[in-house]
Amino acid sequence: MYEKILVATMGEYMDEILENTIDVVSGKDVEIIGIYVVDISVPFLTPVRVKNMMHKELTMRGREILNSMEKQLQEVCKGIKFKKVLLEGNPAEEIVKTAENEAVDLIVMSTGKSRVDKHLLGSVSEKVVHSAPCSVLLVRIN
Amino acid sequence: MLNIILYIIGLVISLIIVVKSADVFVDNLVEIGSTLGISEIILGVTASAIGTSLPEFGSALIASLSGSVDIGVGTVIGSNIWNIAGILGISATVSGVIRTNKKGLTRDWLMTLITGIILLIFMFFGDIHWSASIIMVAAYGYYLYLLIKSQREQNHVNSSEEEKIDESGNNQNKRNIDKKTIALVVIGLIGLIIGCRILVFSGVELARIAGIPAMIMGLFTLAIGTSIPELVVTLSSAMKGLHDLSIGTVLGSNTFNILIGIGIPALVMTVPVEPLSLTFDAPVMLFITILLMVLIRAGKMKLNRIAGIILVASYITYAVFRLFILV
Repeated sequence: MYEKILVATMGEYMDEILENTIDVVSGKDVEIIGIYVVDISVPFLTPVRVKNMMHKELTMRGREILNSMEKQLQEVCKGIKFKKVLLEGNPAEEIVKTAENEAVDLIVMSTGKSRVDKHLLGSVSEKVVHSAPCSVLLVRIN
Repeated sequence: MLNIILYIIGLVISLIIVVKSADVFVDNLVEIGSTLGISEIILGVTASAIGTSLPEFGSALIASLSGSVDIGVGTVIGSNIWNIAGILGISATVSGVIRTNKKGLTRDWLMTLITGIILLIFMFFGDIHWSASIIMVAAYGYYLYLLIKSQREQNHVNSSEEEKIDESGNNQNKRNIDKKTIALVVIGLIGLIIGCRILVFSGVELARIAGIPAMIMGLFTLAIGTSIPELVVTLSSAMKGLHDLSIGTVLGSNTFNILIGIGIPALVMTVPVEPLSLTFDAPVMLFITILLMVLIRAGKMKLNRIAGIILVASYITYAVFRLFILV
């Protein structure tokens, strides 16, 4: 049913996301695109060198996460097609844009923030659900 | 009324000038250091350590030089209380959790605590003179040495090869210092001096018009204002999960504020100690520092949302006591 799946993560709950992804793709000829978006927004008056430092750290983290995702998927689903996408910008917007450009059939991501967290930090998954061009599998984290 | 509005506008504009100038000054100073072949590690550690604290230091120094020593000491002690109870409290409350690195936290926290105790001891013996100042500046030099050593070890573990390439690259790529960079350092420094001067002037005048002691103005308005860089850095890094940067910024800033923010002004003139600072503000600063570690340990080396709320509540309690009961 699904031929191209976009797996989005910020590094948290990777095990749960991958477990669900593997469950969906098992035994099928599917291409997986792993995406990590470096959120480059900083408040006004953030020192430039701190902004650069954050950018560097988050980019390094993104690379590590995507490499780890590829390794874990290849271990279980041998020979699966995997593509890494590391972008900068607003996470929800970039995930939706990539889903459109790559014409994916499914987006897999996690959800599980408390109501307080959603109010204070916002929710990427909620924004993606509202504007995604395809089905979205939200992995509930308790 | 018009005067008050003008001074408040002056306060806000000068704060923006001070923060931006400090940014330009440090960035371009690092650029010059890099061109001169100074190690990236030393530059990075020093810039991170002093970068966000320059506004506090600048206003404390300018206040002392212009005869408002109270406001300078108030800004330093007030900033330190605000940095932990206010900034870390708000950041932990908003982000939900700030994780800590045990080794780095113990080093930075111990240094902040020892620094606070050193200040309290000097304050106990009366006004702070140049002799105390030398010990404070030397202690900061030692702290910087520890930071650089730790960063070197970390870099060595992470990628010894990469570092070698970088260091050899540095030596080979010595360039001439760009005139624009020098100009920006000068502009940053001038902006910092002018901004701090307007900031202190507006603060002193507002205190005079409102009939409140200059110390109070330093403890709250200037302390919170000059800590804007710490607030934006700590909050945004906590929200992005860059926890080391978050807690390290605050503790490093507190150490700098005392050892340099009071140490350097004390080198050029005697810093008087107000009785209430000795009996209330400085002990509260130490209490908040200890409370931070107690909360982190209770949260299994994490500062969670409840701990954040406790810290913010502590700050509000302190402010109410200081503004309405003890003033």
